[in-house]
Amino acid sequence: MTAATASLNRNDLGWYLYGVAAADEASASTSLAEGVAEAVELVAEGPLVGVASRVSLAEFDETTLPERLRDAVWLEQNIRAHEQVLERVLEDVSVLPCRFCTVYRNEAELRRFLAERRDVLQAALDRVHGMVEVGVKAFIDRDRFAAGRAKHNDVIRQLESQVSAAEGGRGYMERRRLEQLVASELEGFRGEAAGRIHTRLVAVAEDGLPLALQPPELSRREEEMVFNGAYLVPAERGNFEAELASLAEDLRDQGIDLELTGPWPAYNFVPEELGAEWT
Amino acid sequence: MDMTRQQTLKQQVTLLELVDRVLNKGVVLSGDITLSVANVDLVYVGLRVLLSSVATLEEQREQISATGAAR
Repeated sequence: MTAATASLNRNDLGWYLYGVAAADEASASTSLAEGVAEAVELVAEGPLVGVASRVSLAEFDETTLPERLRDAVWLEQNIRAHEQVLERVLEDVSVLPCRFCTVYRNEAELRRFLAERRDVLQAALDRVHGMVEVGVKAFIDRDRFAAGRAKHNDVIRQLESQVSAAEGGRGYMERRRLEQLVASELEGFRGEAAGRIHTRLVAVAEDGLPLALQPPELSRREEEMVFNGAYLVPAERGNFEAELASLAEDLRDQGIDLELTGPWPAYNFVPEELGAEWT
Repeated sequence: MDMTRQQTLKQQVTLLELVDRVLNKGVVLSGDITLSVANVDLVYVGLRVLLSSVATLEEQREQISATGAAR
């Protein structure tokens, strides 16, 4: 940061960059030209356009940003706004999404970024051309898993009938044995199921990658998450969805439920040189 | 998967799903203002608070509608 920015004028405006698109595609889209949303502008630089809006630099300044981020209302509003602008763009053209809160001090800085990283931005845009990202998560229902296992596992089936027939102390012991057996079967099944899901889905996608599982207190589901993945698929994604439906059918009896989200801008398919993970 | 189901799924997209993408993925830029790692951690702390308050609100709403239905 330079000394000049330390004495920010309250009214100084910067540019919030939502994403980058190809200029020819963007200019061919009349609805984009009419405006994505209030105050969203397309800043053209060579073959690229930045989808951006003017924001108060004071609002996004390093010194005040932590305060804003602690404000749940501000946070939710701004995160949703970021995504809504990109989703609107994605309806018409391919777009490389930027990370939340990417702000330039002025238009010249924004243009300089588009010019300096032109080749790598273009290559990344070519890769996601006509594509969208979808998310697939798998959850496991323990009861259905146990019931499914019982069909193919004689020991489990036998134990189940003993549990329902047994009474008192013996019934308790049998039930515990059954629970332990199901738990150990589940242990191995988690990884196996995740592998099967990913293998089948990535085969019908342009690209795909497993993501970190979401902690239950955040996913707010009772069932345990066993897989979380992102796939790059054609915007017209009939093939992928057909395979997903058939996969869901095959796994239902084993207690697995699949959940599809998206279409998203291709957040997870931005090349490493543009979007390294936090380290 | 039919259109209605797709629509429903789309609407059910949680804030978490959004946050995981907009904060951790996408084009990261050099220079000017971007989120620092510390700021991202801050967002997750805030998110937990937000989600727990949403959960509380939902529970309250359910209780209210349950009481209302009982009358």
